[in-house]
Amino acid sequence: MTFQERLESGKFVVTTEFPPPKGTDISRMQQIATAVAGWVDAANVTDNQRAVVRLSPLGAAHILQGWGIEPIMQMTCRDRNRLAIQSDLLSAAALGITNVLAMTGDYITMGDHPTAKAVFDLDSVQLVSIIHGLNGGHDLVGNALDGAPNFFIGVVANPGVNPVALQVLKLKKKIQAGARFIQTQAIYDVPTFKEFMSMLDPDVKVIAGVIPLRSVRMATFMNENVPGIKVPPSLMARMESAAKPQDEGISIAVELLQQLREVCAGVHVMAIGMERYVPTILEMAGFSRR
Amino acid sequence: MIVTEQKKFEEVLDSLEGHNKIFIVGCGSCATAWHTGGETEVKEMAARLEDQGKQITGWVVVDEPCDERKSKKELSRTYRQQVADSDALLVMSCGAGVQTVALSGVNKPVYPALNSLYLARVERLSKSDERCILCGDCVLAWTGGICPVTICPKGLLNGPCGGSQDGRCEVDATKECAWVAIYERLQALGQEEKLLVYRSPKNYSKMIHPRRVEKKAAVPA
Repeated sequence: MTFQERLESGKFVVTTEFPPPKGTDISRMQQIATAVAGWVDAANVTDNQRAVVRLSPLGAAHILQGWGIEPIMQMTCRDRNRLAIQSDLLSAAALGITNVLAMTGDYITMGDHPTAKAVFDLDSVQLVSIIHGLNGGHDLVGNALDGAPNFFIGVVANPGVNPVALQVLKLKKKIQAGARFIQTQAIYDVPTFKEFMSMLDPDVKVIAGVIPLRSVRMATFMNENVPGIKVPPSLMARMESAAKPQDEGISIAVELLQQLREVCAGVHVMAIGMERYVPTILEMAGFSRR
Repeated sequence: MIVTEQKKFEEVLDSLEGHNKIFIVGCGSCATAWHTGGETEVKEMAARLEDQGKQITGWVVVDEPCDERKSKKELSRTYRQQVADSDALLVMSCGAGVQTVALSGVNKPVYPALNSLYLARVERLSKSDERCILCGDCVLAWTGGICPVTICPKGLLNGPCGGSQDGRCEVDATKECAWVAIYERLQALGQEEKLLVYRSPKNYSKMIHPRRVEKKAAVPA
């Protein structure tokens, strides 16, 4: 059963995330793939995340397919104009990649090439609309395609951002433009997430993000630097008093997964630097191998 | 207003190397209002250049040096002799003024004294911010009079990115998120429904440089 089939038939989905390597050595990616194979329904490959040059999501998605893992190809508007985006999407479709996650992308000055020219020819809503159009057999300007893709279109949402009503408004535009699933920024406060969910149509497929905490430092860093991530004081206190913070972080992630299972359509585990623990975390949370 | 800044004096001196007799052109419009190239600044520049051993053959503050008719009138009539006596002209205006002077038939090297920064709102003498990038396809009708093309670093047309937090921008937390400002403004105006409309990709062909306009001759009423 594909990721799309699982999600659309109402089964709970589990996804994870692969940062493609900076370079050509894909051995670490392969280790993670081996570890998570069978535990997840699909895996995201990021698009030069945080504006740092890495192997492309198109390449990484194709590599993952070869290892039997269904990819979700992330595509940002930062580095490609409307021509490049459409041609990469057509290439992806021809390679059998079906899941695309459309997003704006972090700004260029956050990364390792801060003097580069940022593109942003499109925004994420327009990108969704273009992918939807490609699915319909035509490009952005209406020219017919010789063979059309059939992308399952996803978008991102950041429920922790204030004002949240404005985030919801934009999310609604993305859904109207053709988005079929949503992956969120990391959630640490389930009641707030439930409020966010209550603002959406109940049919919308939301996959909640979970980032296991590795240390107090990591939690503090995210609280201060990542918009929308709010590790609440109660969880900060647990991390601070833990003898082994990483184990405590895993326990917290397990609890979040168990709570989120009751409120949305799936979970997206972004185990930054802890990818090999993904199966353990999922097993502790009560998930079984596919 | 076009906001400019004065170049470092050393850079100006470097560009004038080999030229001893200088005629200075100021701007009576933006650079006067922003105090980078009005009469006061032109006189200061003249004094500093004289301290460096240059001879100032004359100076003028042209109302709008970017208007070729006005520059020509001052430089080839009123100040014809002083310009003729000079080795070079130093222009204290934006780049449009510098080029207009250079193309106005002076037949002398023309050098800039300012850097051109942006098209601005001026709040007070020391504070301005960029408000328009001259995109050629104004969106202000549906954004509450706040331009996302200029103020959002990503130029987003359909709402904020996920990096906006508490009304601040992810690129620079000292700056407001354009889309939160637009949202609040449209709410206050009772025009929130404008946020729900899908906005198509922008027509960037309107921004292909250099742009030019030739209006049809005005027909008397």
